[in-house]
Amino acid sequence: MSLTTAEIDALGTELDALRNEVAADLGERDAAHIRRVVQIARGSAIAGRALLMFGFTPVSWTLGVGALATAKILENMEIGHNVMHGQYDWMNDPALESETYEWDNVCDSGHWREYHNYEHHTYTNILGRDRDVGYGLLRISPEQYWHPKHLVQPLSNIALALLFQWGVGLHGLDPTRALKSKTGRARFKREWRTFAKKAGRQLGKDYVLFPLLALGNAPRVFAGNLAANLIRNVWTNVIIFCGHFPEGARVYTREETRHESRGAWYLRQLQGSANIEGSSLFHVMTGHLSHQIEHHLFPDLPAHRYAEIAPRVREICERYGLPYNTGSFWQQYGSVLGKIFRYALPTRAAEPQPA
Amino acid sequence: MTTPTALLSSPWFRPFNDLAAIDDLLAQMHPTWALGRIKARVLRVADEAPGTKTFVLRPNGRWPGHRAGQHVGLEVEIAGTRHQRRYSISSAPGREREIAITVKRQPGGKVSGWLHDHLRVGTVVTLAAPSGDFVLPSPLPTRILLLSAGSGITPMMAMLRDLGRRSIRTEVAFVHVTRNAASTIFGAELQARAARSGALDLHVHATASAGRFDAASLDQLVPDWRERPTWLCGPASFMAACRAQWEAAGGAERLHLESFGVMPQPSTADSATSSEIRCARSERVFTSDGNTPLLVAAEQGGLRPRYGCRMGICHTCSCVKTSGTVENLRTGEISSEPGERIQLCISRARTDCTLEL
Repeated sequence: MSLTTAEIDALGTELDALRNEVAADLGERDAAHIRRVVQIARGSAIAGRALLMFGFTPVSWTLGVGALATAKILENMEIGHNVMHGQYDWMNDPALESETYEWDNVCDSGHWREYHNYEHHTYTNILGRDRDVGYGLLRISPEQYWHPKHLVQPLSNIALALLFQWGVGLHGLDPTRALKSKTGRARFKREWRTFAKKAGRQLGKDYVLFPLLALGNAPRVFAGNLAANLIRNVWTNVIIFCGHFPEGARVYTREETRHESRGAWYLRQLQGSANIEGSSLFHVMTGHLSHQIEHHLFPDLPAHRYAEIAPRVREICERYGLPYNTGSFWQQYGSVLGKIFRYALPTRAAEPQPA
Repeated sequence: MTTPTALLSSPWFRPFNDLAAIDDLLAQMHPTWALGRIKARVLRVADEAPGTKTFVLRPNGRWPGHRAGQHVGLEVEIAGTRHQRRYSISSAPGREREIAITVKRQPGGKVSGWLHDHLRVGTVVTLAAPSGDFVLPSPLPTRILLLSAGSGITPMMAMLRDLGRRSIRTEVAFVHVTRNAASTIFGAELQARAARSGALDLHVHATASAGRFDAASLDQLVPDWRERPTWLCGPASFMAACRAQWEAAGGAERLHLESFGVMPQPSTADSATSSEIRCARSERVFTSDGNTPLLVAAEQGGLRPRYGCRMGICHTCSCVKTSGTVENLRTGEISSEPGERIQLCISRARTDCTLEL
């Protein structure tokens, strides 16, 4: 079953209207929300670092790691990712400005804005255009070409999860472009230097500066920072993988998306994304990427609004006979893992559906 | 000095050295405490004239002091959005850390209206350092002319108060143009000052009774205006007329000007008009036909702004509009606010604009 062009246009108009309605209502409530999260993240970072630095028992170490990991997760997901989308630019607050925000992980925010905000959000799930489909490492849909490297993807997936910030940081560099031309090489070199500078600073902060400040407690702080970074890495990785890889999320070819209308762009975002159900605390801890569908429809609306508009998006989907892909965390992540195992082998793509 | 500052602001120590974080913490202890920002508490609010209020503020220790005639940046948050405006300081510099701004409620003015309705004794606002070179020189000439119209009186008032407190014997001719004498801002204080000091020659020209203010009126009130160094402040049309008069008299170099921004009213005309877009960073100018998105118009004009999706999603092309009115093509929203961030790919110009491009 597929929609007619007129229906797709009508869908676009309805979603535009929904977006404008929320955009017109932005105000104090949204400013208070993000400021509160900023304060919690700061407080959590200070508490975590202090516990690691001045504590002696394994209990305080565990609490310190937990607090620091929470701070990093909130800062990366609910603050950094969302601020860099321009969700809070209307506040005119220099501390929450998309163009200048720099987040606490090894990915340079300039690179991120380019390949995430522009490439991934514009060309979502288009094979060959959206490099987030499998991150160049995994085959998560039968439409992707099989390569022998995919045989070990259940293992490479674990490695990627543990080192996720490095994956994200290096993902922005696109080495394939470097191999193609001289300008590509020059660009790669430039981007490499930017990445190395940011990564060096992050390593220096967590593994040199703060351990040194702790004097005798240096090994404890070093290990604690490492653990917090690992927890953040694994958490962000599994949440992000639930966004576009679960069963039911579609991929597209360049041909099908040529001369796409605004309505068709919305349709692609709807069909290519998946949500995770959970409590409001869970949603904040995912930076509201648990509402990946709403996020992909309206990437620059403040994320805490997604839960509020989700029922209306769902109702629109029902009216147009479109699937609304949602499930529990284990349902969604389980199906991602299933695909990672299944498509490690050279399966063939299903017969293309007649249009 | 650079090394400790650089170290203090180094991203390595985040969030411990995050100035915004420290200021938030300090603000919880005391509302005007801050390291990075000038914050001020409202001490008094007074009705100056119909639709005009004076707010007396006490800034924190970061306030560097001002000179009479300068203006100050005032930042307020309205419905989650920060707005900045500059207002002339109407008080004289003094030993006590207090400044006054006198604000007229503008028709449809977002910030002036908010100040009138919401700024109360005890409210804390953020200030930007005072600036402006609309100040009296030192030493002072023996005879000067101050000429203002409407709310252009505010910097003049600071100058008069400053001269009064320093008891300088300069002969000051002060001509103020107003609609009617009863609604003159600072009217009573001016009369009192003129009665007290022989050095102040005050003329309030009320257009309601005395008619239009023109070259002849000035000749009559201050016959030697051509010889006097003059400080002029008022609405744009008034300033332009005076300026022409001084230029005709060959005295443009004796004229010191202060224009205060009056927000351009968004044109409601549907027909697309061509407008001129100035780019502050690249010092380039391009024209927009009023229909084409600014991104396309800029490219046609030979500029190469950064862009990504070209459909309003990714914010790669977003930039600050320092002045002018644009329309958001997706939402139809009109933006006239100075300093607002706009997306070039989905905005079209309604008036001449200046962009941080």
